Amino acid sequence: MLLAVLTFMLLVTAAIRRVPVFDAFREGAAQALPLLKTILPTLAVFSAAMALFRESGAAEVLETALSPALKALGIDPPLVPLLLSRPFSGGAAVAALSDIFTQYGPDSRTGLTASVLLGSSETIFYSLALYFGSVGVKKTRFTVPVALFCMLVSIASGLLLSSLFFPA
Amino acid sequence: MNVMLFLLLGAGIAASLVSGRDALASLQSGASAAVDTALRMSGVYLLWMGLLNIAERAGVMRALSRALRPALRLLFGNTGEAEEAISMNLAANMLGMGNAATPYGLKAMRILNESNPRPGVATDAMCVLLCVNASCLELYPASLAGLRQSFGSAMPYAVVVPTLFASLLSTVSAVVLCRICCSRS
Repeated sequence: MLLAVLTFMLLVTAAIRRVPVFDAFREGAAQALPLLKTILPTLAVFSAAMALFRESGAAEVLETALSPALKALGIDPPLVPLLLSRPFSGGAAVAALSDIFTQYGPDSRTGLTASVLLGSSETIFYSLALYFGSVGVKKTRFTVPVALFCMLVSIASGLLLSSLFFPA
Repeated sequence: MNVMLFLLLGAGIAASLVSGRDALASLQSGASAAVDTALRMSGVYLLWMGLLNIAERAGVMRALSRALRPALRLLFGNTGEAEEAISMNLAANMLGMGNAATPYGLKAMRILNESNPRPGVATDAMCVLLCVNASCLELYPASLAGLRQSFGSAMPYAVVVPTLFASLLSTVSAVVLCRICCSRS
């Protein structure tokens, strides 16, 4: 609703400023295509690996082994691949999320919690390597501990808020 | 990343040898699912990057970055030319499009590094940029909502508010910690 209003306001503003809306949209959307090209290979390899990991029964073994710890932390076992891959790769995390959606449905408790966890966290190690690597920075000072701590905050609050918003 | 893939594949193949399940069929169906997911994602990206570009051409992003300027000054100090790239980076991040945010983030890093007195060592502004990125506030997770919708969710937006709060807490802790760390050094 709010988004529809905002989009409408954007169109009106664009019209007043004489922006060629069609051309501007095409120009922006065209930039999405190279992104797709970069995401797809990562998505493919992790999607395949995660499907194998789950269907082979390896996931079950891991989940049984971890289940006392996971229960204590209030983490649903199917969320483990998502949580483990999230700091390293957005593509792998999206692969894990779609796997959960296919298995449990996007509106199941697992699906909802997984959505919140993915939405509220970032690919911290990937960004660190890419951003600092691009300008040759080796000494990152306080960045890694702060980023890690924030990741823990978002996971903990994501789990807590999910159990508040989506009671079993 | 390499270690993780190795472990996933290694454990998967070992387990399928034990259980006698068809490993290649699983790999194949997983890879096909990736194409499916990428197509769903690309619809979202096409739409939002198109709209964002209209916003940029109409001067909305510039107005937004002007409005954000006091907050950015407080967080980053005076970053001069990097300011616009930083605000575009944060705007795309707040819409849940990390991939679209990356080019702006890299541009901001490049500009910040030009005035870096100690090359190879991160400046305060660089550390803050990374920390805020790592915790980024999600105003509206566009790609997440789009992905949920494409998987047939009856309530794709149900996750928006908890996501907003969880990421808000994370961003607040990033800002507080950065302020402590920056003033110390």
